[in-house]
Amino acid sequence: MDFMNTVKAALVTAALVLPVLPQTGLASSGGPPLPQEDWSFKGIFGQFDQAALKRGAKVTIEVCLGCHSIKYIKFDHLRQFGFTEAEVSEMAGGAGLTKQDKLVSGLAPADAKESFGLVPPDLSLMTKARKGYEDYTFAILTGYLTEEDTALVDAAKEDGTLSPEEITKLASALHMDPHHPEKIDEAVKRIANGDHFNKYFPGNFLAMPAPLSAGAVTYADGTEATVKQLAKDVTTFLAWAAEPTQTERKSTGHKVILYLIVLTAMLYAVKRRIWARVHH
Amino acid sequence: MFKGIMEWVDERLPVTELIKSQATEYPTPKNLNYWWNFGSLALFVLIIQLVTGIFLAMHYKPDAALAFDSVEHIMRDVNWGWLLRYLHANGATAFFVMIYIHILRGMYYGSHRKPREILWWFGVIIFFALMGTAFMGYVLPWGQMSYWGAAVITNLVSALPVVGQDLVVWVWGGFAVGDPTLNRFFALHFLLPFVVFGLVILHMWALHAVHSNNPDGIDLEEKDTIPFHPYFTIKDLYGVGVFLIVFCAFVFYNPNFFLEPDNYIQADPMKTPAHIVPEWYFLPFYAVLRSIDFLGTMSKLVGVIAMGAAIAILFILPFLDRSPVRSFRYRPISRALFWIFVVDCFVLGWVGYNPADATVFGGMPIIYVGRTATAIYFSYFALLWLVTALKVEKPQPVPKSL
Repeated sequence: MDFMNTVKAALVTAALVLPVLPQTGLASSGGPPLPQEDWSFKGIFGQFDQAALKRGAKVTIEVCLGCHSIKYIKFDHLRQFGFTEAEVSEMAGGAGLTKQDKLVSGLAPADAKESFGLVPPDLSLMTKARKGYEDYTFAILTGYLTEEDTALVDAAKEDGTLSPEEITKLASALHMDPHHPEKIDEAVKRIANGDHFNKYFPGNFLAMPAPLSAGAVTYADGTEATVKQLAKDVTTFLAWAAEPTQTERKSTGHKVILYLIVLTAMLYAVKRRIWARVHH
Repeated sequence: MFKGIMEWVDERLPVTELIKSQATEYPTPKNLNYWWNFGSLALFVLIIQLVTGIFLAMHYKPDAALAFDSVEHIMRDVNWGWLLRYLHANGATAFFVMIYIHILRGMYYGSHRKPREILWWFGVIIFFALMGTAFMGYVLPWGQMSYWGAAVITNLVSALPVVGQDLVVWVWGGFAVGDPTLNRFFALHFLLPFVVFGLVILHMWALHAVHSNNPDGIDLEEKDTIPFHPYFTIKDLYGVGVFLIVFCAFVFYNPNFFLEPDNYIQADPMKTPAHIVPEWYFLPFYAVLRSIDFLGTMSKLVGVIAMGAAIAILFILPFLDRSPVRSFRYRPISRALFWIFVVDCFVLGWVGYNPADATVFGGMPIIYVGRTATAIYFSYFALLWLVTALKVEKPQPVPKSL
């Protein structure tokens, strides 16, 4: 029965480890590895960073809402993480809406289709709806060409052909496969053509131009608005928007699991006691 | 007072007698191990699914235009709605974990052998009914994977000769998966659990007619049995406690672990996902289906038949096994075959999870792994028959009693 015991041990280990494993464990995007950030809300004891949520809401409303909607969230819901009623009304007013309105973009779907060729996806569930979850959202927001990347691409396209040295440099900067120089060459041509390149988007080219630039918003709390900071705050806010009940879920879980552990320990004690009467 | 009422009832309907003979004093083998907990656990999960499902149905809208939003309404606006939905979605996973272990336990200890064939058959029918229920339930949130999973699987109907094309249109209620499909799947998803419940009663009737098998697979004398209560009521309750700790850890801490991210995108008939995968519990059978790809135009039909046969073969398992001994505890060759079979099921699951055109181990098409694993799957049943019918296996000595 040794083998049975091994199987039992494997089952028990899986049952205990899998639930607390980060979700990214089984879900990689298949593209280049995503940058790993520390998220305040991850893990079984994770809680949303309220300051990040407030900053993220501001960026989302002032920048993202220009094209994208977040249709499951109303401005009034934002009071759940510390905005006052007056602040919420003011933010809604800035977008030409009231606090009872949903976060719906002013850009009409038909106009969006004309400008970008497609209707920008609703962001309500974005951090749950892509492999890699919040890491993927953050990767897309920060995956556009930096100034150095652009300089590299500009230098490469000047003489028309790519030297092996340029290919190595570009492959590393663009997170592309150096064994497929023809793809890098094509990417350089499309970038020159004005197409939007992203290091983490499957296929690398997407309709959305780089949405965030340093200083795009002025944070009320004085935090410096770098692209990385903006992306991190937006992602935190979108993770909240995807599941506002997440905090309640985890805190309920602690009580439920604690109760169950005590109950099960008692059931086990009673079971031992009762079965002591049975002679094998 | 209570005694008086019970006497009055018992004269008209022998309730006390039934509880005594079928529950509290029901004789149960004293040597059952913890693998025997999974039957009562499966029943427990069925009850979770029925209760959460009925409350979800009060808030869900089976309409292609409203379904996705109504699930988010449950997640966000309904009191404890997120808990109902996560319990129900993870409950489906838990249900299959429980019954897969329950089925494998039966296969290992020979619980399907004479005189328990009818008991076993009800079990296989329940398994089929559960797969249908789970498949239709997964369509209801109307996400991308719901829609395209439904499209791929219902499309298999079209493989049937002559009537296939017309039949699939009848199943869809249109010329593609759409609103009528969703509506009927909701009706059937509501109905089938009650059918399953009825089948479970038949399963338990058959069990109580022949009584439980046991790890030694021998017929027990009365001295080797103990009353169900309190021994198995407390043991099953302890099992429920352990189960709930693990189950709730998923529900509260990692509720989307078994869900595909794509299903949080609303169904779009114009946009096929890059990679359509069924739920994990269908993956081994999905791999069997796809591994039959070498028969030209017949591949699809034969694939569907092979997939059905992979489960239906369980019906004849009691007659394939010709050994005089039930339990694999005393049967070294059968035991080895069994564990190869279990590992093979995991391999099939892994093949089913990967895209059909994937390559593995440095360039080998994964379809070769799928075909081999499918062959091994069916070989288990053939070899089990061979080694027992031809008496290749010499069972070890079996105790006469405990």
